[in-house]
Amino acid sequence: MGMITILMLVLLAGAILSLLTKTTAQARGVALVSSFGALAIAILMYLMYDANFSTVTHYAFEESGTWMPSIGIGYHVGVDGISLPMVILATIVCAFCTIFSWTESKRPNQFFALLLLMDLTLIGVFVSLDFFMFYVFWELTLLPMFFLIGIWGGPRKDYSAIKFLIYTHIASVLMMLGIFALYYFNGIATGTYTFDIPILLEAYRTGALGQFGQFWLDFIFVTIMFGFMVKMPSVPFHTWLPDAHVEAPTIGSIILAGVLLKMGGYGLFRVLLPMMGVASTWFIYLIALFGIMSILYSPFAALAQKDLKKLVAFSSIGHMGFISLGVAASALAGMDPARIVAHTGAMFQMFSHGIITCVLFGCCGVIEHHTHTRIIDDLGGLTKKMPKLAILMVAAFFASLGLPLCSGFVAEFGILSGSYGTMPIFVMLAAISIPFTAGYHLWAVQRTMFGPYNEYLGDIKEIKWFEFLPLAVWVIIFVILGIYPAPIIDMMHTTADYFITSGNVLPIGGIHVPPGGAFPW
Amino acid sequence: MVGYTALLPEGLLIATAVIVLLAGLFIKQKKILGYITLVGLLASLGLVIKGWNLTATFEGAPFYGAIVVDPFSQIFNAIFLTVGVLVCISALKAYGDNQRQDDFYSMMLLATVGMMVVAMSKDLLTLFIGFELASISTYAMAGFDKRDPKSIEAALKYFLIGGLSSSLMVFGMAYIYGLTGSTNIDTIASVFGANPALVTTPAILLAMVMLIAGFGFKMAFVPFHMWAPDTYEGAPSIVSALLAAGSKKMGFAAAFRIFIVGLIAMKLDWYIAFMILAILTMTVGNILAVVQTSVKRMLAYSSIAHAGYIAVVFVVVAYYPHAPALAVNHAVTGGLMHAFSHAIGKAAAFIAVGAIAYMIMSRDKVDDPNHISNYDGLGKRAPMTAFLFALLLCSLAGIPPLFGFTSKFVLFLSTIEAGLLGLAIICVLNSALSVYYYAKVVMRMYWGEPKGEAFVEPSTYVFVLAIAVIALIALFFAPGDLVYQWAETAAHTVTGV
Repeated sequence: MGMITILMLVLLAGAILSLLTKTTAQARGVALVSSFGALAIAILMYLMYDANFSTVTHYAFEESGTWMPSIGIGYHVGVDGISLPMVILATIVCAFCTIFSWTESKRPNQFFALLLLMDLTLIGVFVSLDFFMFYVFWELTLLPMFFLIGIWGGPRKDYSAIKFLIYTHIASVLMMLGIFALYYFNGIATGTYTFDIPILLEAYRTGALGQFGQFWLDFIFVTIMFGFMVKMPSVPFHTWLPDAHVEAPTIGSIILAGVLLKMGGYGLFRVLLPMMGVASTWFIYLIALFGIMSILYSPFAALAQKDLKKLVAFSSIGHMGFISLGVAASALAGMDPARIVAHTGAMFQMFSHGIITCVLFGCCGVIEHHTHTRIIDDLGGLTKKMPKLAILMVAAFFASLGLPLCSGFVAEFGILSGSYGTMPIFVMLAAISIPFTAGYHLWAVQRTMFGPYNEYLGDIKEIKWFEFLPLAVWVIIFVILGIYPAPIIDMMHTTADYFITSGNVLPIGGIHVPPGGAFPW
Repeated sequence: MVGYTALLPEGLLIATAVIVLLAGLFIKQKKILGYITLVGLLASLGLVIKGWNLTATFEGAPFYGAIVVDPFSQIFNAIFLTVGVLVCISALKAYGDNQRQDDFYSMMLLATVGMMVVAMSKDLLTLFIGFELASISTYAMAGFDKRDPKSIEAALKYFLIGGLSSSLMVFGMAYIYGLTGSTNIDTIASVFGANPALVTTPAILLAMVMLIAGFGFKMAFVPFHMWAPDTYEGAPSIVSALLAAGSKKMGFAAAFRIFIVGLIAMKLDWYIAFMILAILTMTVGNILAVVQTSVKRMLAYSSIAHAGYIAVVFVVVAYYPHAPALAVNHAVTGGLMHAFSHAIGKAAAFIAVGAIAYMIMSRDKVDDPNHISNYDGLGKRAPMTAFLFALLLCSLAGIPPLFGFTSKFVLFLSTIEAGLLGLAIICVLNSALSVYYYAKVVMRMYWGEPKGEAFVEPSTYVFVLAIAVIALIALFFAPGDLVYQWAETAAHTVTGV
């Protein structure tokens, strides 16, 4: 049994055990052991990554076994420079979330069980190298989040929870059709019917499926892309996200924005990027366009928000747009060094935004918990009562707007400078958003933290230790990575280098596919 | 004489039915008959599973090739027997102190035998006899709560429509016999194969339409579905479980036997007709399920929607030879798997509704215990039942890690393999829509405000639900594709391609 299986079993055992407990303390104890155990395993995997890396398959800690051999479904897991940072991100976020919800008193056993289940399913998505498993975990992430929003959520939780469930479920079932087509065509072309991700992508990438015509290749690409774009979410498929965030409990929002959205970004790297050389070129511009739309739309939407949490939700949409842009830019033919920089930057953005947004949503949660409001106009001068919170929140907002010395700067700088090599016009358009992004962040901080204290709020208490500790840890992480990103970015850079220079991501037009083409019967 | 042991499962059930019926005349402690029934069903199920890939034909007297035991009949027998076991255990609780329970058990056994005969028949007459045996037993069972006017109404509707469907079926069979001079399905197929001109006669059109309508009523295809919601809602819950999970699958067993063989042999280009039927059935079922306020009625409509998914099998098969053989086999395999997962899930879901109604009636004074508002806060009032019911709904919705997901996965895979893109998209969108109404029940159970004190959960029902859920989870995780291989072997037997 390999590390990844152990990691998942630790979380599964934790989830089941914590469901059986009676009190908050017991449930929390189980959750702490299990989630920090998972974090320890993830860090161990990070340390042992190089030693376990296979130069043949380009995955580390690979495990494979049979599951349903008749239709080619197997148990296949492994990590590389794309997925290991995501696993680390998921475990860091979820582990500190258990501390953040130290005093959760409403159905604590279910709460902590769902938290661990969330961690498990997210990790499952990131480590799966079999489309069946990938899809199973992809669907499973919906359930814990559905219950987190529904049971612990705000007043309009029914609407938000069901909208979240149905919207993203529709996207996933359409993605399933793309996977089916990929499976079937590969089966015909190569004779082996399998759901194995590396094999299927290899077949698609090398043009082995070219005989089936551009329509079906594009069908595969576009259905899978739709699944990822809804999950990211990209404008115009983002409408479920603000609703879900506004009603979700703080922990739900942190995991949703911090890790769950990254599933979409991860999919872009893992599945779509290798396909981009064969699919129609305009899809790459479409992805870039979705990115740009998100980048340009989010600051204006955020500026108009009255609810602090909704503002932060819109900021996530913009930051995820940078990932789409970076991925699209790295797929176009052009200067390879620039493409690698864009690719690395986009990957780093996933990790960096995952950490920063946790602090943002955590601060919103703390404010709501202490002042019982999130409406920006009702707040003001919180520095006077909550100086510790003010430090964390100002740090996070500055990191989110892309201040140097924070990880967000490294990532977005990488994306913009790298993308300039292949998509200069898109980069210039994206740059328009920068002042507005800075504007809404600063304006929000200024209205909530500074200025005269709103006496109407009464006497509020300073942030509690269990709220402070996770936020502080996350702040430290993004500041350290802002100054010295090498621990994470090196791994990503190696993978990006491998993907791009070894021709794994073919430039556009690399494979000639006959237009039209018939369905293979 | 070879292989009469292959008929042991059926023989065992008939013997049990007779024993239960006779013993019921003398025994005062009638609950013991329930246990005898259960033992009979379990033994029979064990034999079927043990001989899953058994093939036995009975050419000579007394059967003259009218029945056959093959993986296809065995998988349907397993479905019927599993449903029978679930219903039987629930009946121990539901009718534990009913004085007529011996009738219930013997009728249930005979109904199961009838269904099994349908799955095994290679001859239109045997098929019809099995059909009637199962139908007549279930007519009586639907009206088993004879003091409940809803149960009587359910039984009457079911009986009238059932009579109509039988007559249509016989009508269609008579035409087929007139055209081919045989009632044996293989002979019919070979006659059609040898005389392609026969296929285009108007008589065959009439016969096919009659057969589709006849089976369509049993399978609750739209527009032959009108009786199903009323019957499933009015009948006692455990009988609804038998009807929706067992009796309905009998319709599929018959239709698979006749249509799949027929369609492949006749090369009729009927896929458009079946496509309309399938799309109509799943869409109407799902849309009407969304607006229901009674959970039991919602399950009835969802059962119609599931019939629509399984009807996809006929579309892909009718599309042969445009659809590759692989797609045809995957479709039938997926259809069989889905029949299996839906049978377990739906039977247990109806039993869960019955259990919940029982708990609610024991505590609260309400007019309709199946109304969705009674499910508020059930997660707190009856934690085990609610949890298991939620998982069953997940299986019906096709959410992993339950077997309902795997079966839908294989079934929908076949639509893409056949190249029926439009059908595939409609299928998955329907499936996504169905999540909505299942989720609504789960939401009521888990974040509605409880309307009263916690219930004492009847352990028998919880046990039944737990068996079903464990089976569904185990079948999902089972390595080495347990059911898949069975279903695939069965698919090869009927498609022959």
